[in-house]
Amino acid sequence: MIRLLQAVLGGLLTGGVYALIGAGLSLIFGVLRVINFAQGELVMLGMYLAWLLFTFLHLDPFLSLVVVMPVLWMLGWVLEAVLLDRMHGALPQNQILLTMGLGLVLSNGAMLAFTSDYRLVSTTYSSSSFMLAGVALSQPLAVSFLLTATIATALWFFLARTDTGMAIRATAQDRDAAQLMGIDVRRVSRLAFGIGAALAGAAGALVAPTYYIFPQVGGSFTLKAFVVVVLGGLGSVVGAMLGGLIIGITESLSATYISTELKDVCVYSLFLIVLLAKPGGLLGKAE
Amino acid sequence: MVQSRPLTAKQRSPGGGARKANPPMLGLLLAAAVKIGVINSVTGPEAPIGENMSHGYEMAVEDLKAKGIDVQLLTEDDAGKPQTAMGGLEKLATRDGVAGIVGPYTSASSNAAARLAERSKIPLLIPAASKDEITRQKYKWVFRTSAVVSWYAQVLFDAAARFGDPQRVSASGAPPAAKPKSVFIVHENTDFGTSAARGATEIAKQMKLEVLGTEAYSAGSPDFRPTLSKVKAANPDLVLLVSYVADAILLMRQSRELGLKPMAFLGGGAGFTTSQFASEKAISESVLSSTQWTEDVSWPGAGAWGGRYKKKFGKTATYHAACAYESLLIMGEVAAKAGGDREKIRAALHEGKWNGILGEVKFADFDGFNNQNKHQMLVVQIRNGEFVTVFPEEFAKAKVVWPFPGFK
Repeated sequence: MIRLLQAVLGGLLTGGVYALIGAGLSLIFGVLRVINFAQGELVMLGMYLAWLLFTFLHLDPFLSLVVVMPVLWMLGWVLEAVLLDRMHGALPQNQILLTMGLGLVLSNGAMLAFTSDYRLVSTTYSSSSFMLAGVALSQPLAVSFLLTATIATALWFFLARTDTGMAIRATAQDRDAAQLMGIDVRRVSRLAFGIGAALAGAAGALVAPTYYIFPQVGGSFTLKAFVVVVLGGLGSVVGAMLGGLIIGITESLSATYISTELKDVCVYSLFLIVLLAKPGGLLGKAE
Repeated sequence: MVQSRPLTAKQRSPGGGARKANPPMLGLLLAAAVKIGVINSVTGPEAPIGENMSHGYEMAVEDLKAKGIDVQLLTEDDAGKPQTAMGGLEKLATRDGVAGIVGPYTSASSNAAARLAERSKIPLLIPAASKDEITRQKYKWVFRTSAVVSWYAQVLFDAAARFGDPQRVSASGAPPAAKPKSVFIVHENTDFGTSAARGATEIAKQMKLEVLGTEAYSAGSPDFRPTLSKVKAANPDLVLLVSYVADAILLMRQSRELGLKPMAFLGGGAGFTTSQFASEKAISESVLSSTQWTEDVSWPGAGAWGGRYKKKFGKTATYHAACAYESLLIMGEVAAKAGGDREKIRAALHEGKWNGILGEVKFADFDGFNNQNKHQMLVVQIRNGEFVTVFPEEFAKAKVVWPFPGFK
């Protein structure tokens, strides 16, 4: 029983980070209809930023969110304005090449700037845990999960309750109709890409104390985010959150009860089964 | 991605215009720079270790020059990928026409490159890849300086048996524990990790250590907690972890989170022998690891070389750097003496014997191995961020802390 609890709670905490990255990717896809293959690299930038702030200014990585998120938001805004805006309506393969290329430039740029050495953010609590009814809960993961939940709630409130949020949702539903209603869809695109980048950056800062940082770290996050988003339904932010948690828990359960080596097999089998039953993803509409 | 770049400019030989005559006796003195190929993980996930090896190669070129041997090094980057390594070897052997090749780094790349080297009849000296099988395939053209991975576990289990011996008193003054009876193996699912785990399982059987479980994981996964809770539930005396750089740190961090307390954490080389791991004092204290080389070992020139390395590159030398250095030194000497003739180089490598910073090096045929150096493995313990050699006792600088006192 303790083992089951340990597996579920551990998976939930890890899944929170996947959810955050996936939500950003899904938001960007919803509004821009572009799959951002550089999403993982944005996570990587968030990690490096948190590392820089921690190493040189001794700023706690969780506190560094207040710097990392705005910086990544601005970066996302600029990237959309300079690069993606021009690609609107272009062939999908060209858009894919653009975001993949962007990812390569970012990861190789990071290698030039930071070398390929592994960087660690070793806080006093990096390997601490507290016991909860016999289950060891990682302290940094628990804190990061709480922050993830806060960010997710804020995002939901923003999208559901504010005018700007509604404009974003309207653009995601039908870009042309939104434009006819007087919504500045180009500005909304910039905003959405900025938010997506900020979410990726936040995820980066949140995993920094428990993970390690190197220029190529983004690739695995991009892949995972893609799985999370497709599982939850492309374009659905809530679906991406749900997908992230499901993937986290599946990984943890299969590693505990089957084998660590087969954990990816289990995750992708579940992924295939869900897509067979619901081709549009869990919360997506089949088109 | 594949690129070659000469590390040293071709120098004018002391003999000047007399170069074209080149009588064999004066070969050493008058020969043009001897071309040697290097395949290394300059980029890719193993790049941090590749960098250490590049440093080793750089120092070897320097020292060869000091001996009057001018080496032109042609480097190919394999980014840790076997197919790229094979492409690089092909190019070095045919287009660049090198006399011999040193590298690649990873086991996967080396295994692929070895097969091709054998077919192309070009001497290949593998410095640090450790998968057993590479030198167990009756190859004539493939040589290896470093110890194979199954010896990693052997020396660790030997050390554990010795430290757990009730006759021995440990440095901490704690009463000696009972002999370790069981082990749990966690390894990365790469060529290196799988090979190490297989070797360890066999050796454990021979030594009557019960293997309570074996878990393979894929590198870069952020969450090892499920795997480690399995280990905790099995409650083994020894935990053997085989990982590259960064996962070693994650494994130990999460072991601390879950409160694992075996008799000893044994690290199977690679990630556990980096200074970055050692500097994470909260998790590295008292961890034992097997290694191919340390700076404080009593092999000729090891300490001085390590000092020079640190001065030059600002980092502590790793065993990867030492193996790379010694391998290129051997290849350079042999190739210059043989005047670049591949067959002669092969024969000279097979018959020769060297003694340097890696201790005695001889490429011998034994126990199913061919052209394999019987390298002496060492066991180090991390104390307050530093590596201290603790086994075998003739090389040991300090007494071991045994059993593992628990995380602080």
